[in-house]
Amino acid sequence: MKFRILLANCLFALLVWAAFWVLVTLITVGLGLTGRLTQSAWEVAAQLPRWYALFFGVSLIHEYLPLYVAHGRTRRQFGVEGALTLILFAPFLAALLVISYQLESVLYGLAGWPHVLERAHMFTEPTQVPLVFTEYLIEALAWSTAGAFMGAAFYRFRGGGLLSIPVGVLLIAFAHSAMGVEPWGPFLLAWLRVLSQVVFDLPDSPLMPLLGTVGVLVVGLLLTWAIIRDMPLRNQAS
Amino acid sequence: MRIEVEDLVLRYGDVTALDGITLTLEEGKIHGLLGRNGSGKTSLLSVLAAFRKPTAGRVRIDGQPVFENGRVTSRISLIRDVGETVNIGTGEEALSYAEALRPNWDGEYARSLAELFKIDLKKSVKNMSKGQRSAMGIIVGLASRAPLTMFDEAYLGLDAPARQVFYDQVLADYLAHPRTIIMSTHLIDEVSGLFEEVVIIHKGRVLAHEEKDELLAKGTSVTGPAAAVDAFTAGMTVLGSRSLGPTKSVTVYGELDDARRRKAAESGLELGPVDLQDLFIHLTAEDGAAR
Amino acid sequence: MLDDRSPIYRQIAERIKADVMSGVLKGDEKVMSTNQYAAYYRINPATAAKAFQQLVDEGVLYKKRGIGMFVSPDAQEKLRAKRRETFFTEVVDPMVAEAKAAGIPLRDIIRRIEELEDS
Repeated sequence: MKFRILLANCLFALLVWAAFWVLVTLITVGLGLTGRLTQSAWEVAAQLPRWYALFFGVSLIHEYLPLYVAHGRTRRQFGVEGALTLILFAPFLAALLVISYQLESVLYGLAGWPHVLERAHMFTEPTQVPLVFTEYLIEALAWSTAGAFMGAAFYRFRGGGLLSIPVGVLLIAFAHSAMGVEPWGPFLLAWLRVLSQVVFDLPDSPLMPLLGTVGVLVVGLLLTWAIIRDMPLRNQAS
Repeated sequence: MRIEVEDLVLRYGDVTALDGITLTLEEGKIHGLLGRNGSGKTSLLSVLAAFRKPTAGRVRIDGQPVFENGRVTSRISLIRDVGETVNIGTGEEALSYAEALRPNWDGEYARSLAELFKIDLKKSVKNMSKGQRSAMGIIVGLASRAPLTMFDEAYLGLDAPARQVFYDQVLADYLAHPRTIIMSTHLIDEVSGLFEEVVIIHKGRVLAHEEKDELLAKGTSVTGPAAAVDAFTAGMTVLGSRSLGPTKSVTVYGELDDARRRKAAESGLELGPVDLQDLFIHLTAEDGAAR
Repeated sequence: MLDDRSPIYRQIAERIKADVMSGVLKGDEKVMSTNQYAAYYRINPATAAKAFQQLVDEGVLYKKRGIGMFVSPDAQEKLRAKRRETFFTEVVDPMVAEAKAAGIPLRDIIRRIEELEDS
């Protein structure tokens, strides 16, 4: 069966999302009832899925590549399926976030809470479905691609994989700059934001997000391929 | 599948794991791969399964190169201690990946093996005991029915009864579905009966490769009065010797013809067979007495 | 399962011969396949096949292509004749030697044999 990995990960992500949704909603209601809710809760909560995307990218190389090679697939065959899996998993994550914002807007509407965004996004309202989808799609693509690249570097070079972190960070920062959206929040390093402003002063064009994303995807996947194309499977479990 | 290896070299940085292996393994047989720790068994099998690209040399399986050759690798299965094929979610999930990726997968057989090994497939493989994880690997390796099936010390953590199940299943499934099987092991006594051919590697080189019965026929223990034993074994390849008072027992390597056997009998010497494990220990001894 | 004093295939051959000699396996009777022997003794079928080959060479078994191995009609008589030839050197001589080493008078042995004959 094709796309076994994609299907398994979508199902698993759906379960995780359902649990996460319940948690976020409980906190939202708690804050709302005590009158401390001043913004969209999912704007804050949406910082976690990007990390989920990153570790999904890592797991592609760490778990699934050895599994596929040990079952007689070539690295090339896996590379193609892995890249497609990564590209198709991102819209799934983005769709879950769109649904989250939509459900949230219903809840805020019923309760009469202010459904406002505190930061700059590609979208100005949480209900602008196409723009919300696009922003989180780009984010998921960039983060999972960076994850796959760093995952490959750590799998192959172990400690030497540390050198891949700056490159991964650059890929992510570039994507965020291309969107014109600052990466921010307690989970993200403040210097990533500085970096994306200082290093990438990209022209403000509507084509920029598209070009930036394609660029990050192509460069990230090619770098990953360069590492895995003749990568040995480890002799010891890690 | 027929395996041809020529001048195979594999290095990990400065460490030479395989130091010029040349070897032909015939199709449809059960081959035993023996070697001490660090002799290169895992490295050799990993190259055969295209888990690793060799540093130098040539590997052909059914006449074709192996590395990144999907038409060949889809017919090869190597089960290692690392557990690449099973460390993925629950037992059920691991089997479902095997089913999706293995052309000859027999799901019913896999389930019956899980019952034999008393594996709870609903459990996460990473939470299983060492022995259960080994059993998972064995299940995947056997039920894949790959034309080239390799087990690299796949028994680790299994208790004696479970190992017997493993050996019995390898033999039964081989008889029912003949294929090329390579098993590496340290528990030589337990499994040597299954082998048709034996390869002994030592320090990254092939030390011996022979039909098992012929290899066994080459090892003989000569027991009797020390002087008579010494006289008889002079000029022969002596692998080891032990003394008990005036009695000496020497293990020699090499064919003994009928004339020599008669001579031994006349000198009052007792000739006996040497089992594979003893032969292996003597052949790979580090003190230089061997060969 | 088998003692390891001689190669397994020789032991299997000896056991089949013993069965033929004692009449458990009769002339023209089919013997179990190499695979059945392999599974029973937990050995490689090639090893079992060696035992069969040895018996074919000795004329104890014959092969019917595609069907299996059968006991030669004259195998029992042949084996018995051969046994008679070697009986004294292989059984009686060592027995006498052992009796001497243990200090058993030959008369005692003969008496024992006569007792067995009578009972």
